[in-house]
Amino acid sequence: MTYEQIQPLLPPRVSVHVDEVRCQVEASAFAPLVEKLSKEAGLPVSLVYATDDRVQENTFGVHAVLSLDEESRWLVISTSVEESNAQYPSLTASVMAAHWYERYLQDMFGITPEGHPDPRRLVHHENIPEGTHPLRKDFAWDTKLDHAQIPYPMHHVEGEGIYEIPVGPIHAGIIEPGHFRFNVAGERIITLEGKLFFTHKGVEKLLEGKTPEEALPFIERLSGDMAASHALAFCQAVEKISGTKVPERAQALRVAFCELERLTMHIHDLANIAGMGTGYTLMAANGFRVKERLVRLSQSLLGNRFWRGAIVPGGVTRNWTMDECAHVKAVATEAVKEIQDLVAMAMQSDGLRERLETSGVLTHEAAVAYGAVGLPARASGVMRDVRLVHPYAIYAELPWKFVCATQGDVYARYRCRVDELAVSLDVLLAALDLYPETDVTTPIDLKDGVGIGAVESWRGEVLTVVHLKDGKIERCMPRDPSFCNWALFGELGPGNIVPDFPLCNKSLNLSYSGTDM
Amino acid sequence: MITILMLIIQVILVLLIAPFVTGLIRWFKARLQGRQGASPLLMYFALLTTLKKEHVISASRSWMFRFVPFMVLGVAVFLALSLPLVFSDGGIAHVDLFVLAGVLALSSVFLVFGGLDAATAFGGMGASREMTLAALIEPAVLTTFAAFATVAGSASVQSLFGQGMTALTHPALLLSFSALILITLAENARYPVDNPATHLELTMVHEAMVLEYSGPYLAMLEYASSIKLTVFLLVLGNLVWIKPEMYLDAPTIGLGVLGVLVSVCVGSFVLALLESSMAKMRFFRMQEYMSIAFFLALSGLILILVV
Repeated sequence: MTYEQIQPLLPPRVSVHVDEVRCQVEASAFAPLVEKLSKEAGLPVSLVYATDDRVQENTFGVHAVLSLDEESRWLVISTSVEESNAQYPSLTASVMAAHWYERYLQDMFGITPEGHPDPRRLVHHENIPEGTHPLRKDFAWDTKLDHAQIPYPMHHVEGEGIYEIPVGPIHAGIIEPGHFRFNVAGERIITLEGKLFFTHKGVEKLLEGKTPEEALPFIERLSGDMAASHALAFCQAVEKISGTKVPERAQALRVAFCELERLTMHIHDLANIAGMGTGYTLMAANGFRVKERLVRLSQSLLGNRFWRGAIVPGGVTRNWTMDECAHVKAVATEAVKEIQDLVAMAMQSDGLRERLETSGVLTHEAAVAYGAVGLPARASGVMRDVRLVHPYAIYAELPWKFVCATQGDVYARYRCRVDELAVSLDVLLAALDLYPETDVTTPIDLKDGVGIGAVESWRGEVLTVVHLKDGKIERCMPRDPSFCNWALFGELGPGNIVPDFPLCNKSLNLSYSGTDM
Repeated sequence: MITILMLIIQVILVLLIAPFVTGLIRWFKARLQGRQGASPLLMYFALLTTLKKEHVISASRSWMFRFVPFMVLGVAVFLALSLPLVFSDGGIAHVDLFVLAGVLALSSVFLVFGGLDAATAFGGMGASREMTLAALIEPAVLTTFAAFATVAGSASVQSLFGQGMTALTHPALLLSFSALILITLAENARYPVDNPATHLELTMVHEAMVLEYSGPYLAMLEYASSIKLTVFLLVLGNLVWIKPEMYLDAPTIGLGVLGVLVSVCVGSFVLALLESSMAKMRFFRMQEYMSIAFFLALSGLILILVV
């Protein structure tokens, strides 16, 4: 679909800024328009978020971000609702991908998506009193809440031989808190539902009123394993609003940081899925050792183990010397070679292959309907990658290749990671040689406005929307790919047996912290 | 008199080295996977530490919960006593293969009671899995024992696993011996049936049943697992090389102790190698594993009866 083709569907007045097309519609026309664009024109709904515009316009804004993949443009459909009648016809009734976003804005803003098929609370647990809407501007960030007791019902199946297994929020092993509720017949999973948001940090609220420089540390700490990707998405949004042109060398180094992060975490996942998921412990013991090399590389270059603190608005903090580039190349090449050897050995094990194949199948239809992003979606045949549909930094000049599979099982996701590892190394090596002599930072002249930054992290599409006003952040929603993918468990879990669930879980490796802004 | 003395030597030796065997397997596994590994003696300290900790027991438990650790440990000690482990004619003469199979099942059943009594989802899940596995392995256990008994011409465990019996006594016993190895893995919750090192509640079998135990009870259950594993390794060792007949002098006792140490070291290494080179089997493939064990045992028995 090109913009020409969908233009007749849009209202006559649209505003265009760089690659973003924005238009405003009535609340009653909002859902039908987005549905038409999503169903008839096939544009994926990438984000739905709300803003509190009561100071300026006395209304709340609800915005749906759709991606015009073919022309690498974003289409933002906005509507506004009055505080006295804060509701609009729900999108989710027809567009499945909006289901969590609408529950989210219902909790955070008190805007009711009318006719939402599943209007339960999402972020707010039992203890949050009715009428608490933290992202409204008149809600102070340090408000002390009373302790309420409001039911938080979860899916429940009844019948002979059906039983429930509650797992978490405290898990064995060192992982984040999340509660999972299995309804099981024998070992076979019938329904599976997660309850997350145990560690809400209020990042969105804290970002408001901060300058981009002040906000960056919060963004980087959203999810520890994708600090570079989140920082890049945020910086790109700010730079787009201000019309800043980032120097080529900085863009090359930004690619290098993101690819190093991707290498680190893909190595982790390859070790974790095969090693911890199936009990093939040899792979875990050695894979984590290989990962440690890259983590230490980050430590030696940046002073932290998370590829954090390098990407800043306007560029990167410093250029690398030739020696440092050579060192990075050597370590990364060695690590990738070592993990490839390990994977080659592990794949010789029939027992391991047997565990991975046919486990946790995510069908193509489900991946599209739920708006799945990143590697899990690509392993189910969804042909989307931000580097393909919204090219950023200098990926266009690099030997980047699209990786996908069609089976949608754990093995497909595993193979995709293996393939992407090789591509990622090629991209990294090429990026380090690009434009070695140019500047790496440029001053930013902050302007007011709205911008979308998108980055394909190792986990999937990071989408950060930033609203700037007077050099300060008015509203910022850094959407982690996990937010789109958590609900997939309800699809890929049922039909599997309970002992295979940890394997399915590891094959997605979603962030609790990134979802729980 | 000498029988009783030798029995005391056997039980002390087995109870003494049991934690070492568990530690040794972990150490071998660590080394095989390229890790440094904790000392094989760590298990002694771990057991002592657990023993010193307090119980946390929910008020809704019945007396069964407290009874289970004693029962399971009791069965383990009984195994250490009754089988010919150090000397080829050691053990208790009147224990036959049906008693042995029954006692093994008894231990499983009480573990299951312990898991169910907790009334938690994980305990019940582990219990249901354990019962499934126990039902699947039971025919293989009896058939294997029957094959050995047929060759020995007696049902007593002394003639089954001692008194000059090896896996080569009758060619068909090699099949039964292979079945016994598979049974050993299944009975002791090792790979590919269960993962003894897992931290994932959802995949556990044995660990899920003991999840609610803490303090001294947990120590008892873990000690019982160690003893049971040691006994199985020693029985397998018995069938590979012949142990000395009991006689009260230093060389004979020395030879017996040496045989035990060699058995557990070789057994631990093979087990560690196995566990480092394969993934745990999918739970719904267990019936295939158990069928292999059963048909190995059955072929052995048929060959012995026919040839």
